[in-house]
Amino acid sequence: MPTITIDGKKVDCREGVPVLQAALEAGLEVPHYCYHPGLSIVASCRLCLMEMKMPNPQTKELEWAPRLFPSCQTPVRDGMEVRFESPAVQGNQQHVMEYYLVNHPLDCPVCDKAGECYLQDYSERFGHASSRMVEDKHKNPKKNIGSDTLLYQDRCVLCTRCVRFCDEIAGAGELRVVDRGNRCEIDVFPGVPLDNPLQGNVVDLCPVGALLDKGFLFRQRVWMLRHTPSVSPADSSGATIWIDHNDEGVHRCRPRFNERVNQWWISDEQRFAWRAYVRREHERLTLPRQRRGGETETVRWEDLPAILRFRFEQAARAPSGPQAPAPGSKVAAVLSPMMSCEEAWLLGRFIRSVAPQATLVLGHVPVVGQDRTFAKGFVIRAEKCPNRRGVERAMESLGGPNLALADFLKAAGEGKFAAAYVVGGYPESWVTPDMQKPLAKVEFLVVHDLFASPLSAAATIVIPGASWMEREGTFMNCDGLVQPFERAIVPLEGVKSDGQFFHELCGEPGLFRSRRTREKMAETMPEFASVFVPRQEPEYAH
Amino acid sequence: MSWQAVDRTRVPEEQLGPGLSEAVKEKIRAFFSRYPTKQAAVLPALHIAQDALGYVSLRAMKELAELLEIPPSKVMDVVTFYTHFWTHPKGRKTLLLCRSISCELLGAGKLKDAIRQRLGIGEHETTPDGEYSFMTEECLAACDHAPCLMVNEKMHKCVRPEDLERILADADNDRLDIPRSDLFDAP
Repeated sequence: MPTITIDGKKVDCREGVPVLQAALEAGLEVPHYCYHPGLSIVASCRLCLMEMKMPNPQTKELEWAPRLFPSCQTPVRDGMEVRFESPAVQGNQQHVMEYYLVNHPLDCPVCDKAGECYLQDYSERFGHASSRMVEDKHKNPKKNIGSDTLLYQDRCVLCTRCVRFCDEIAGAGELRVVDRGNRCEIDVFPGVPLDNPLQGNVVDLCPVGALLDKGFLFRQRVWMLRHTPSVSPADSSGATIWIDHNDEGVHRCRPRFNERVNQWWISDEQRFAWRAYVRREHERLTLPRQRRGGETETVRWEDLPAILRFRFEQAARAPSGPQAPAPGSKVAAVLSPMMSCEEAWLLGRFIRSVAPQATLVLGHVPVVGQDRTFAKGFVIRAEKCPNRRGVERAMESLGGPNLALADFLKAAGEGKFAAAYVVGGYPESWVTPDMQKPLAKVEFLVVHDLFASPLSAAATIVIPGASWMEREGTFMNCDGLVQPFERAIVPLEGVKSDGQFFHELCGEPGLFRSRRTREKMAETMPEFASVFVPRQEPEYAH
Repeated sequence: MSWQAVDRTRVPEEQLGPGLSEAVKEKIRAFFSRYPTKQAAVLPALHIAQDALGYVSLRAMKELAELLEIPPSKVMDVVTFYTHFWTHPKGRKTLLLCRSISCELLGAGKLKDAIRQRLGIGEHETTPDGEYSFMTEECLAACDHAPCLMVNEKMHKCVRPEDLERILADADNDRLDIPRSDLFDAP
């Protein structure tokens, strides 16, 4: 491990990283725009320049070299000595910041990026309070460059992060620097817009307010937002995200650095997954309902556990056919891959406690196309649910009879099941006629789902579910990595979070805490003893 | 106005301009063998396209991108980087005025005003009749004869504003004193 000296302080750093990265990891605030650890290094913003000690060619003694070096392009070497706190370095920072603001419109009051803009932060920290610019500012146009993205060219600092992202990570290369020198602009080829499935990342990458998300435009000031760490439910990769929300609900999702899964990026599917839940909010189920004859009536949440326990026990005890199979074999639970590991385990345990021979079924697993791998290894998974592995693992640890969904539907169609607990939770419609028909044969059907569907209309008891933003728990991704997610917003009025309900269903006292549930799960499933939480990025890195 | 965004996601068909003929494309393909990648042939390809069309139209850029197997944006990047590639029709006569220091000191500014007044066009623009285009250049390598002005292939030295009419009418403007290198036309 090389040790270098930054501003007279010894710093241990990782092998082969640039001095800038080492300084950021040591907690130093070094201004930078063009450097991003996930992209190639161009050293074009000239903001991270440092002084470095070099041997004097005459005396062979180490002294401060007369020129400045880009710290992002200088790899660390053992024994190296550099400094940022010197008049030359600070003077450079001031001058460069002044240049960046020469044509900047200073429209922070109407800029979406204000509050998380590095032009603001660095001007305040490293620049001047006032501008010496008296000439007219050059006004660049605003451009509509893609389905989800706008480019406000007048705010751009030409760090070319977006260009390198499109080239290196997304591989489509739609964005370019056009023209030369002081006329430089970022642009797409006219008629060939930015439309790769990772395009949302250029908005996060942009250190200033040049690239903007159309969906988030003028919606919220960022300082009004709270950030909750979560895991994307859009596919089985387990990409970690931040959910940005406030009392009005969720406003956007951003990638959360994860060295083992998604690095700094997320796909647009993952980024905009929350919109599907919000768009269909009016279709949400909001109160538990019970069917009596042809009518349905609302049931109090407090009464539900007793009702369910009684009805399932009744179905489990009922004589079941001429061969008289084991008790409870007429009871089944369909566990959705949208459930968290804790929820699947709790529900499985409840079903098994009332009917020891109950069948557990893995619910519908939506698959769209094939896995898509990008140039530097980013993968969009074909499996569009977060937790198939986790549910399978929970079912495995609970043991007992299991069935595949198709076999279960066939058996249900033959009338082999008297009671079933079906969990949905998918953002899109998922009930198909060949699912609906066999399940209609189930005498006591409980449907626990987000949205009203033909299945919920046919159910004896309908329980409203909560979306992933309204729950806490863990998802096990396609590689078996267990990652926790937290609750961002409160469930819709009248809805109880699934975990809390299953907790009560199992007769546990108090509030559902996913961590405490995991401790119990870890007795049979050691992988839940600890969860994977990605490394935090250095404070001043972006 | 300032909040309106230019729509770059689509482009009207008529703005795409002319495309490349099969003969031109064949000429470009012949260059591929000289370079390790097809992308590396972008400069000769653009020269050929500009020679054929007079400028590099959007449609030509798109077709070049297909030929070179790169995104069209990369072709546009190169075209706009070099001022000698034109993205809009160029006139039959191109006036290149030197804007570097010795010409500037000896009256290039006045000459520029005279040209703009005579032709009624600004820098990198073309007269409506398609006769003249005008642009400035960093140095024409004739500082000892400043200010200098190049019209197509002929260099006019020590130009004064009153010489402009004579220069524009010069019959030698299109004469090539030095034949172009074989390397350029034939691979």
